[in-house]
Amino acid sequence: MRQLRILFSLGIVWALIGQAAGAAAGLFLVRAIRAAANLPPSAEAELVIAAMFSVFGSLLFSGVLTDWLKWCVGIETPLRHGDPDGLPAWTRYFSVDYNHKVIGIQYGVTSIIVLLVGGILAIIFRLELSWPGEQFLTPESYNTIFSAHGIIMIASILLGVGAMVNYLVPMMIGASDMAFPRLNAFSYWIAIPSAILIMAGMVIGDGWETGWVGYPPLSTIDGSPLGTQLFILGFYFNGFSSIAGAINLLVTVMIMRAKGMSLWRMPIFVWAAIATSLIQFTATQTVGAAQLMVTTQRVLKLGFFDPTFSNGLGWPAGDPILYQHLFWFYSHPVVYVFVLPGLGIISELLPVYSRKPLFGYKWVALSSLGIALVGFLVWAHHMFTSGMADVLRIPFMLATLLVAIPTGVKFFSWVGTIWGGKVTFETPMLFVLGAISVFLIGGLTGPILGTIPTDLHLHDSYWVVGHFHATMFGGFVFPFFAAIYYWYPKITGHMYNERLGKIHFWLMTPGFWLMSLGQMQVGIWGMRRRIYDYDPALGIEFTHALITLSALIIGWSVLIMIYNLITSSRTERVAAINPWGSRSPEWQVPSPLPEFNYYRPFEVVGEPYDYGVPGSVYVRDVPAAGD
Amino acid sequence: MNYKRHLVIASALVVPVTVIAYFLIAISYKLPFQGSAEAVKIDVMMQAHFVLIAFLFSLVAVLMLYGLVVFRRREGDDGDGDHIHGNTTLEILWTVVPLILVIGFGIWGVNLLNELTDAEAKPNQLLVHVQGQRWSWNFSYPELGVNAPANERAMVREVDDPNDSNNIDLILPVNRPIVLEMVSIDVLHSFWVPEFRVKQDLVPGQTTYLRFTPTAVGNYKLGCAEICGGRHAYMMATVRVVSEACFDQLVVQQLPLAEADASCQYEAMPNYPDSAK
Ligand code: HEM
Ligand SMILES: [Cu+2]
Ligand SMILES: [Cu+2]
Repeated sequence: MRQLRILFSLGIVWALIGQAAGAAAGLFLVRAIRAAANLPPSAEAELVIAAMFSVFGSLLFSGVLTDWLKWCVGIETPLRHGDPDGLPAWTRYFSVDYNHKVIGIQYGVTSIIVLLVGGILAIIFRLELSWPGEQFLTPESYNTIFSAHGIIMIASILLGVGAMVNYLVPMMIGASDMAFPRLNAFSYWIAIPSAILIMAGMVIGDGWETGWVGYPPLSTIDGSPLGTQLFILGFYFNGFSSIAGAINLLVTVMIMRAKGMSLWRMPIFVWAAIATSLIQFTATQTVGAAQLMVTTQRVLKLGFFDPTFSNGLGWPAGDPILYQHLFWFYSHPVVYVFVLPGLGIISELLPVYSRKPLFGYKWVALSSLGIALVGFLVWAHHMFTSGMADVLRIPFMLATLLVAIPTGVKFFSWVGTIWGGKVTFETPMLFVLGAISVFLIGGLTGPILGTIPTDLHLHDSYWVVGHFHATMFGGFVFPFFAAIYYWYPKITGHMYNERLGKIHFWLMTPGFWLMSLGQMQVGIWGMRRRIYDYDPALGIEFTHALITLSALIIGWSVLIMIYNLITSSRTERVAAINPWGSRSPEWQVPSPLPEFNYYRPFEVVGEPYDYGVPGSVYVRDVPAAGD
Repeated sequence: MNYKRHLVIASALVVPVTVIAYFLIAISYKLPFQGSAEAVKIDVMMQAHFVLIAFLFSLVAVLMLYGLVVFRRREGDDGDGDHIHGNTTLEILWTVVPLILVIGFGIWGVNLLNELTDAEAKPNQLLVHVQGQRWSWNFSYPELGVNAPANERAMVREVDDPNDSNNIDLILPVNRPIVLEMVSIDVLHSFWVPEFRVKQDLVPGQTTYLRFTPTAVGNYKLGCAEICGGRHAYMMATVRVVSEACFDQLVVQQLPLAEADASCQYEAMPNYPDSAK
C-alpha cells in the first residue's frame, strides 16, 4: 500500500501517464473531427496531434506547470524546496523538483540511461556490420536503428550538457540556485516526452530511415514511414529544453555571481557554459522551424521543400536544399554545444591535477566565445556536394578553416598548463588526458573535410563518421566521465573505486582510438556512410571486425563505470572534504552541499587557479556583520 | 626548472615522431587507385593534409607526453607547480602560425576548386546524362542520342531483390573530359566513384553537374553516397572506362559485347578497387 502510494507520488510516473493520456486525447480528437467532417481517417494527422498532445499531457501531469497555472488564476505559490513531506528523500529525484542540484542529477542520470539505449543500438548495428552481407537485420530496420542511434545520442549529449551546466554553474559562482528554478525544471521535464517520442518513432509506424539529419524529400516523400514524423516532433520539442535552459543559465551567470567574481575571475567552465548557452539560445529556433515545415509538408501538403509543389495559385515550388541550410544553421553550431562544456571541464581539471594555473586563462575563455561565433558562419561545410549555390562554397570553406585557430589555442594552453606542474594521475585526470588525445584526433581530421577538393572524396564517407565520433567522444563523453568521477565525492559524499575507474579508462581509451581510426580508414578507402552492407572488394572486412570489437569493449567499460558509481555510494569510503586539493568554492565545504549550496555566502578574493602561490585563496566566507 | 632545455629536447623529438606518424598514416590511409586526372591533383592536397596532421599530432602528443613524464609528481612531494599564468608571445605565436597555414590551405583550396569545377567547354568533352532513382542508376548520352547499353551485372554484388539489380553500366571513354548532368526523380542521391575522388549530389527539381577525366581503363564501382532509403547500400552500378575504340563500338555503334573486340571485353580489364591495395 505504502509502496503504491510512493509510486504514485512520483512525477515521472505521472509524466508517463500524462503522455499516454495526452496521446489518447489527441487521437480521439482528430478521429472525432474527421468523422464529423466526413473525412477519411488520416494516420499522419492523428499521429501529429497525438504526439503534440502527449507532450502537453506529460508536462501537465508531471506537475511542472502547476505553479504557473496557479499563477494564471491569481494563486500565489511559494517555491517548494527541501525533501518531500512524508515521502522518502530519494523520491525527489523522480519528481518535479526545483533545486538545481537535483535537476542536475536528474539530467545526468537520464543522460546515462539514454546513452545506454543509444549504445545498445550501436552495438546491434555494429554486429550487423561486422561482416559483409546480410546478417540479422533487414535494410529497413538497419536504417531505423542507425538513425535512432544518432539522434538518441544527441539527446543524451544535450542531457549531459544540461547535467553539467545545471549542477556546476550555480555552485561555482556561489549562487543558491538558478535564476528561474521553475523554468529550470521545465527544461528538464520537456526533454523526457521528447526523448520518448523519438524512441517511439522506432517502433510505431515502421521506424524511419533518414538518419539524424532528416533531409527531405526522403523525410517527406509519399510512403515515408510514420516513425519519421515522431522523430521530427521529438527533435522539435527537445528544442524548447535547450532554449529555456540556455536563457536561464545566461541570466543566472549575469546576475547571481558571488561578490567579487568579475568575469575574468569566473571558473573557466562558466565561460564554456556561457558560450554554449549563447549558441543554444540563438540557433535552436531555425531547426525548430525546419522541423515544423517538414511536419506541415507531411500533413498539410505545404510544399516548402517539394520541387514538384504546385497549388495552382502560382506559389513557387519548394527547394530541398533550403532544408539543409536551416538544419545546419543549427546543427553545426550545436556540435559546439556538445563539446564546449567538455572542453571547459578539461580546462577546469587540468590545473587541479597539475598544481599549476591554467595557462592563458583569458585566451582559453575567449577561444570558447570565438569558437561559438565562428561556429555560426560555417554551416554550409556540410553541404559542399549538395548542389547549393556555387558562390557559397568558397566563403564557407574559408570560414571553416578559421575554426582550427581557437581550437588550437585550447590544445596549446593545455600543454602549457601541464609543463612545469606536478602532475598526478587519478581517474578524472586520466579521462581528461584521454579526452585531449581523442579530441586531438577529431580536431586534426576536420580541416581535411574543410577544404572542398578533399571533402569531395571524404564527404558522406566513413571518414566523417570517424571524425565526428572522435570530436564528440573527446569533447563530450570523456570529459563528462571525468566530471562524473571528479564531482562524485561532492555529489554523494563517497569516494568512487579508483581501481575500477582506471580499468574503465584503460579499456575505453585504446578501444576508442582503434574504433575511430578504423572508421576513418574504411572511409578513405571508399566506404560510404549509412550503408547496411558493404562491398568486400574494398578490403575493409578486417577493419570492420576490429571496429565492432572496439565498440564492444567501449560498451563493457561504460558498464564498469555504472557498476562503480552504484556500488561506491553504498560503501563506507566517505570522501574527504577536498580530495583533489582544489581551490574551487564547492570543495571548501563538506559534501554533499546543503539545499542552497553555501550556509554562508563567499566572496572572491583571488584568482581561480593560483596554484603555487603560498597562502593565496580563491574565495573566503563573507565576514558577517558582527564578526 | 630549466624549461628551455626541456623545450629543446621535446622539440627535437617532434621531428622523428612526425616522420614516423606520417609514415604510419601513409600506409594505413592509402588512397584508392587514381582513376582520374582530378584524383592526381586532389591527392597532392590530401598528402599535404596528412603531413600537417602528422606534424600537429606529433607536436601536441610529444609535448604533452613529455610534459606528463617530466613534470609528474615525485613520491613524497606535495607542493604545487610553478606559478606561471601564461605567455602572451606564445599565445600570439600559436594564433598567427596556424592562421598563416590556414590561409595557405584556403588559397590552395580555392584555386584547386576552381580548376575542378571549371565549366568552360573543353574540346572533345562528352556529356552524359545521369538519372538517379530508388535504387538504381540510368545513363544516356544526349549528344549521341543513345542510352547506355544494358548488361549483366558482372561486378555489383548479387542481391536477391530483383528491383535492385542495376543492369545498366556507365561506359566512359578514357582520357576524355566527362561532364555528368545529373537529375533525380525522387529523393537525394549522390554520385561517388572513390577512384575518381569527386562527388556530387543529385537533387530532385534541379540539375547538378560533375566534371572529371577518367585516366585509366578498367571496371569501377559507383555507389550512392546519400541515404535514400531501404536499399541505399545496394544503389550501385559499374562504371567501365574503356578505350576510345571500344567506346565507339559499344556505345556509338551499340554493338553487342560479344561482337566487340577482345580488348573491349570487361574481363580483360583491371578491376578497381581490387587492385588498389
Ligand atoms: C578543427 C575543427 C573542425 C573542422 C575544420 C571540422 C570540419 C567539418 C566538416 C567540413 C564536416 C563536414 C564533413 C562532410 O560531411 O563532408 C564536419 C562534420 C562533422 N563535424 Fe566537424 N570539424 C571540426 C571540429 C568539429 C567539432 C569540434 C565537432 C564537435 C562535436 C565536430 C562535429 C562534427 C559532426 C557531428 C559532423 C558530422 C555531421 C553529420 O554529417 O552527421 N567537428 N566537420
Ligand atoms: Cu559542421
Ligand atoms: Cu541513392
